[in-house]
Amino acid sequence: MVDVSTFLDITVSGIGLGALYALIAMGFALIYKVTGVLNFAQGQIAMIGAYGVVFLGTGAVLSSPLPAFGALAATIVLGVVLGVALERIVFRQFIGEPVLSVIIVTLALGGIFSGFIAFLFGRNFRSYPAELTFSSRIDLVAGATIQTAFAIAVLLALVVVSALMLFFRYTVTGSILRAAATDEQAAMVLGVSIERTIALAWTISIAITAIGGILLAMSSDGAGFSIEATGIIIFAAVVFGGLDSIPGAFIGAIVVGLLQEYGSFYFEGGTAIVDVGPGFGEILPLLFLLVVIVVKPYGLFGTERIERL
Amino acid sequence: MPCGEYFTSYESRMGLIPWRTQRVALVFGLPIPFLVPFLVGGGTLTLFTQMYIFAIAVLGLNVILGYAGEIVLAQGAFMALGAYTTSQLLGTGVGLLPAILLGGVVAAIVAVGFGLPSFRVKGFYIAISTLALQFITEWFLNNGQFDAIHGGARQTLPSTPSIVGPVAAIGTDLDIYYLALVFVLAFAMLSLNLSRTGIGRMFRAVHENDLSAAVLGVNVFRNKLMAFAIGGFMIGVSGGLFAFNIGFIDPQFFTLTLTLEHYVMLLFGGLGRVWGALLGVGVVTILRDTLQNGLQVAAEITGTNATALVPVFFGVIIIVVLVVEPKGVLAALGKVKEYLRKWPFAY
Repeated sequence: MVDVSTFLDITVSGIGLGALYALIAMGFALIYKVTGVLNFAQGQIAMIGAYGVVFLGTGAVLSSPLPAFGALAATIVLGVVLGVALERIVFRQFIGEPVLSVIIVTLALGGIFSGFIAFLFGRNFRSYPAELTFSSRIDLVAGATIQTAFAIAVLLALVVVSALMLFFRYTVTGSILRAAATDEQAAMVLGVSIERTIALAWTISIAITAIGGILLAMSSDGAGFSIEATGIIIFAAVVFGGLDSIPGAFIGAIVVGLLQEYGSFYFEGGTAIVDVGPGFGEILPLLFLLVVIVVKPYGLFGTERIERL
Repeated sequence: MPCGEYFTSYESRMGLIPWRTQRVALVFGLPIPFLVPFLVGGGTLTLFTQMYIFAIAVLGLNVILGYAGEIVLAQGAFMALGAYTTSQLLGTGVGLLPAILLGGVVAAIVAVGFGLPSFRVKGFYIAISTLALQFITEWFLNNGQFDAIHGGARQTLPSTPSIVGPVAAIGTDLDIYYLALVFVLAFAMLSLNLSRTGIGRMFRAVHENDLSAAVLGVNVFRNKLMAFAIGGFMIGVSGGLFAFNIGFIDPQFFTLTLTLEHYVMLLFGGLGRVWGALLGVGVVTILRDTLQNGLQVAAEITGTNATALVPVFFGVIIIVVLVVEPKGVLAALGKVKEYLRKWPFAY
């Protein structure tokens, strides 16, 4: 029953979805690399991006909404501001606190964000302004097509991953970030402002995540609460790629996107080979995550932690 | 240490209630929960019952997180496992008590299964894998394909089952109250004893520094699994009681929000302290109840869905507690007491 052209189609949309996840996963990996914070609120931050466009660009809450692309730009700015604010107000208090506190704080932030969004919009699907929805699909070779939002995501994810890698390798700020990540104290002694470094990392991370959320919403023509689940799915990506590796997060996210598309095509609904019920597409990456944690916990490119007494 | 009291032996030092004031407090305090049903009416009694049931779950979390230091984000999943097992077993007529206990055993087995990766990894990897368990469980329960195993997503429990086998049917609010009370007392006792004996000290050693613990000869892996088993059992039992108390079950009850709520309770009271956990459950349950009623009223007046703001308040409470006093309210009270004792001197 495996048809080559459908398989190709699913593979292409899997890569597209993976690229969307890659943006959010890279936001996560960046923060983990620089500050050591595991951000469990990543899904909710992506959702803020997605709903930010609804908030600013449609008449759902505001009486005079911004034009669609203005709303898009304003949402990204909002993401940057949110990054700075979060670092200032919340995460600065927790520098040097045990990992448990930080995890709980990000979980609590996730609760706060999703609570606010549920308060403003309800838990319903909100469609995007018409300028931001793409019904068209772009034709590729061999009869495969790709959703426009996915195509943008693939390009953007590639740009972001290469830009981040170049940034870390060739700019002074990038090497400061790396220095802060390697040894906070030594970097401080050498005159690096840790506060500013961490604030910068949060800003970049949350901006990328918000863009990922917007594109994720675009791919389904509007924002929905299902974006929240991305927060756990990207864990599969970052753990597989190695928690502190940005290219690892990219590759992991592509793998997870493929898994999700294959899972939802071949294991659920009418097209299934083995039908295990609705929603299995999102469960397959989680099963994969469990396998990775047991078999290869440090992932493909992660640094193995060696402990001494 | 109170004036005029001295410890003459190690046993008395390690006793459960070492001081005279505590013994007096116990004599006067213990009857109170047994007398509560005669003092308060139906609604408040149900609130108390709910408090006890959550207290059991939070005590379970306290064993895993507070004693052994493993971050478990699957409170909802473990409670759901207990609840659905209880529901299925009640249908076979084994009686309530065996059903609830077996529900706890199922939750314990799953908890141990998800504790197995701790052989190789530690810390947040367990948090991530249990978070995955939470999502997988929700999917599993909502999935009609597995109805043969879990018996359908939404179920109604028999309202007057018998305690064991066919004898002694129970079902009134009062019965459930006393059942929950007995369980919470038993588990509080278990937790207190756990924390002052060798097992609890091994858990704490693993928590503080697992590498040093291993060097000192503590079997880290076995102790972690033991913590998962004990804690998972308690959380599963709480799930069974929860299901029986409400009378029907729905996967919606057992989401990540529940986990967050239990973390608020535990962190508010103080991690690793039994009395802190109980205090946290009491305060937070009452707070949530008031909040929910208030927001309900606000929602009706303003026409918005203000009730969606409950997790916002919980989130803010967690962050504030962690910023101001990460050790919880009991530790803060201790600090105040110490300050007043020395006042007006600094030390």
